[in-house]
Amino acid sequence: MKSNSGNNLKLGLLIMVGLIIFTLGVYFIGKKQNLFGDSITISSVFKNVNGLQPGNNVRYSGVNVGTVKEIKFLNDTAICVNMLISQESGNLIKYSSVATINSDGLVGSMVLNILPTDKFPSRRLKEGDTLYSLSQVATTDMLNTLNKTNENAALLTEDLIKITNSINAGEGVLGKLLKDETLAKNIQESAANLNFTTRSAKSGLTKLNDLLNSVDYENSIVGLLLSDSTAQENLKTTIQDLQASSSQINKLSANLEEFSNSLNSEKGALNLVVKDTTFVNHLDQSIRNIEEATHRFNENMEALKHNILFRGYFRKLERKKARQENGNK
Amino acid sequence: MKFLSSHQSGFISFFNEIGDMGNFTGRYFRELFSKPFEFREFLNQCYQMGNKSLLLVGVTGFILGLVFTLQSRPTLMEFGAVSWMPSMISISIVREIGPVIIALICAGRIGSSIGAELGSMKVTEQIDAMEVSGTNPFKYLVVTRILAATCMLPLLVIIGDFVALVGSAIIENAKGDVSFTLYFNQVFEALEFTDLIPATLKTFFFGFAIGLVGCFKGYNSNKGTAGVGKASNSAVVFTSMLLFVLDFIAVFITDIFYS
Repeated sequence: MKSNSGNNLKLGLLIMVGLIIFTLGVYFIGKKQNLFGDSITISSVFKNVNGLQPGNNVRYSGVNVGTVKEIKFLNDTAICVNMLISQESGNLIKYSSVATINSDGLVGSMVLNILPTDKFPSRRLKEGDTLYSLSQVATTDMLNTLNKTNENAALLTEDLIKITNSINAGEGVLGKLLKDETLAKNIQESAANLNFTTRSAKSGLTKLNDLLNSVDYENSIVGLLLSDSTAQENLKTTIQDLQASSSQINKLSANLEEFSNSLNSEKGALNLVVKDTTFVNHLDQSIRNIEEATHRFNENMEALKHNILFRGYFRKLERKKARQENGNK
Repeated sequence: MKFLSSHQSGFISFFNEIGDMGNFTGRYFRELFSKPFEFREFLNQCYQMGNKSLLLVGVTGFILGLVFTLQSRPTLMEFGAVSWMPSMISISIVREIGPVIIALICAGRIGSSIGAELGSMKVTEQIDAMEVSGTNPFKYLVVTRILAATCMLPLLVIIGDFVALVGSAIIENAKGDVSFTLYFNQVFEALEFTDLIPATLKTFFFGFAIGLVGCFKGYNSNKGTAGVGKASNSAVVFTSMLLFVLDFIAVFITDIFYS
């Protein structure tokens, strides 16, 4: 009898241990699925749920706050995902939060992420709310992009191989640069020249520096120009005036050149005077004739003064002149 | 011709045995719901099957968890998925390996024990004596044992699963620096009711099969002491086969309802 009660005690312990383990298992699994404690049901509508299933986790800022309860079609392009999240988490999540579906790692199951947004203030979540959804890049899309990138990389590599082959063969500028010894020597010489030039430039700069250091900035013209802003302005104005004058001189030179050209041309009168000897002879003869005619005219006029008809008129003019001279005195 | 006739007789005896087992099962259910109920013997059988098998189940489960983790670890490390170890081990053990392995262990221990015990009682005519004395031997010997096996196996499987997970956690803790808290967090993160409930429900059927086949083979044994050994042996063999068939049916039904 004593043995039987001892056995029953041991049996009872075994049953208790088994039941406790089972109950704890059920509790922890149920707790994970928010079956125990207050919870609220919210939803979000997606175009594509990317393999999300009931029971998948719902995360808010990376923390598990609930599970996917139900997935159902609203129409041919909209899928409603109902989520069961704990009341405690619902009190923290804002209505303006955005729901996205992501993969839990590269090969993990799908997870519904609720992302907080600070764009505008909003109330906390309550039963039956529908969150905005955001479609993110799915793994397949990523792999498709990666595939395209790989194809491009393959093409690039192929081209690169061609380029390196031609470089190795000494073709093209780069090939010659790497393979042509003459070019290398030239470059070496150029580098030496450049080195020499650089040294010269350095020396020149040193001298220029010394020169600039030796400038009396207060008393010399250069110093005045370098230090006095008014003098700089005056110099600038002078240079501008010089430029304007130079421009006008250029125009004048052009006019003179044109005049000179016209003089030199056979059609011009001056050219006729300067270069045509026949014309000059005619002109000389004409001037002589004019001089001779003028002389004869003077003789005629003198004779006219002594003529009885005009003598009175001339005497009258002489007397009037004499009176004017006396009046002036 | 002789070959064919021997096979024909084999098939006929097999189907005869199936039919007998059907009748045996029907009688079990009739006797189960009829008074009087041998509660004391039921508790005794529970103790014999549960407590006496606990050490075997515990050690087996612990080693199962250790070995399973040690064997899986290198492969998962190759894929860089060693962090999935708790999820993989827990789902494997709770869904399938735990119930099946522990049921097979119990089939070996409990089924053979029942077969041998009832077989020896049969060949030594103790069962007949019980009938003569006015005790219902079926109710006293068979119903209590089948019911005890049906009730005890789920408990043993639950404890065995837990011990296996502890063994796995120890290896993960030692080799992968995964704390027990993190390990069991990941275990319960991975497990669903669809893993735990169907797996627990099917262990009732496993227990029932172990008790039923053991009792049937023992209760119907004959041919003297050789028959006892045969009953014990065939109980284990037939139960093991039946367990796999039942497991297939359970997985098939679970897949229909939960996939």
